[in-house]
Amino acid sequence: MTEADILEKTRSVIAEILRVDKESITESSSIKGDLGADSLDQVSLLMALEEEFKEEISDDDAKNLLTVGDTVAFITKKISEKQ
Amino acid sequence: MKNRVCITGIGCVTPFGFGVDALWEGCLNAKDVIAPIPEQWSRYHTYSSNIWAPLPTIDYAKHHLSRVDCMQQDTVSLLSVAATHDALAQAGYALTQANERKNTWHIESIEPYKSGVFIGTGVGGLTSFIDAEAHHINTPVKKNINTLKEAVNYSETSSLFDNLGGTLQFPPRFNPFIVSMIMPNAIAAQLGIRYSLKGANETTCAACASGTIAIGRAFESIRSGKLDFALAGGAEYLGDRFGGIYRGFDAAKTLTHDYSDPQTANRPFDKNRSGFLFAEGGSAILILESLNRALRRGVEPLAEIVGFAESFDAHNIMIMDPSGEELRNLITQTLDDANHEAVSVDYINTHGTGTQVNDPIEASVIQSLFDKKPIVNSTKSLTGHTIGGAGAIEAAITALSLFHQTTHINKNLEEPIEDLSFVKKVEEHTLNTALTQSFAFGGHNAALLLKRLSQPE
Repeated sequence: MTEADILEKTRSVIAEILRVDKESITESSSIKGDLGADSLDQVSLLMALEEEFKEEISDDDAKNLLTVGDTVAFITKKISEKQ
Repeated sequence: MKNRVCITGIGCVTPFGFGVDALWEGCLNAKDVIAPIPEQWSRYHTYSSNIWAPLPTIDYAKHHLSRVDCMQQDTVSLLSVAATHDALAQAGYALTQANERKNTWHIESIEPYKSGVFIGTGVGGLTSFIDAEAHHINTPVKKNINTLKEAVNYSETSSLFDNLGGTLQFPPRFNPFIVSMIMPNAIAAQLGIRYSLKGANETTCAACASGTIAIGRAFESIRSGKLDFALAGGAEYLGDRFGGIYRGFDAAKTLTHDYSDPQTANRPFDKNRSGFLFAEGGSAILILESLNRALRRGVEPLAEIVGFAESFDAHNIMIMDPSGEELRNLITQTLDDANHEAVSVDYINTHGTGTQVNDPIEASVIQSLFDKKPIVNSTKSLTGHTIGGAGAIEAAITALSLFHQTTHINKNLEEPIEDLSFVKKVEEHTLNTALTQSFAFGGHNAALLLKRLSQPE
């Protein structure tokens, strides 16, 4: 899976969980500020991303995933480490 | 002045499938719901019983439940939300979205502070707790096993490790929403949140009588004028991945276990009964409202609720009082509550589990109070026992029987233990008044008296 694929999938998951227009989600979008996720939304989003990518995201790692770009970079790294 | 209270919609999920039509048709046609218990459960124990009544696979997305809902709610809540959406549609209520992200709704024309939720459940979100606990316990165990694998000659012991791995089932994540999933009040709370209902929001935990008591409380609240509208019913989900809940009922010798043909193993009120058929779960949600409100909206109610009572055995946590004294009191008080005489009752939807102990006590009380006048059946002879869901499913069947002027058979009844008017074939009856009753572990008893309101089509 390429980084572009991961970005695409991440945007879809965010759109589904936060009920926001996918087109409005960019790499620089902040999950809390721009996309309006509250703390429960953030946990739901992490669970959905874990489910989607079959990768575990620890609570410590999750603290650093502030933007869509952060999240995509983290998942890309996780997947590449496995290969 | 007291309000008259009616049922205008029913939504349910039962072993017959999703929806009230599946339940009613399943019951009238006495469809089989029995299946072997999941193979995975046999890794942990050999049970006396080995059959159950599984639920259908529900596509929650089709019932307005999102991925977030499925992550944050136990199955028992999901079943109930899906059932409620269907019940509201059947009652003719249009919904408008209150908040898209939260997936919440407004019910047209209702007054939120005069609208309540009353749900009965035996164990709430127990299966979510079991999953979370399994993750909690087994994550380090799995790590230790992997370390052990490296320390021993794996190729010689691989089958041992495969066996170990097979028993170590748990979800990939410890669900951070677990507290709000397992609390028994989560079902009623989820419904109140989803449909923006701000009146009384109550949960009844009284095992197998939970659903009946919840409907009774809703009935009383509307009758008194405190509320005008309520979601009322019962729900249970017992299909944990290890079979531990099933084992509990099996160990208590409550499940049907002495049978040669699984399809006839579930036989309430029959001499050859040996326990009840365990159902994976079920939920039935009834829309209750004042008759005035229903008439104002121009909808045709399914039935009227006219009486409710409850009694308590104060005898034994697992065994019904053999004297039947509190069942007699229960029925008498229910009739009194409705200002009715026993002779007016045309139909009794029994608790009818099929256990050795309960059936003769219930049958004897019916015989002594009603003799052979009312027709009698056990819905559990068809659906199996859905514990906290049972009372509401049976109230639904009672209302439908009054509405359609017919009812289902008492399945597998070959040698009745009492000479009552058990329903042996589906045919037309004149049913004006019907009693539905539930008895529970703990000693809780509850009954509702329903009346026919409409002419059948």
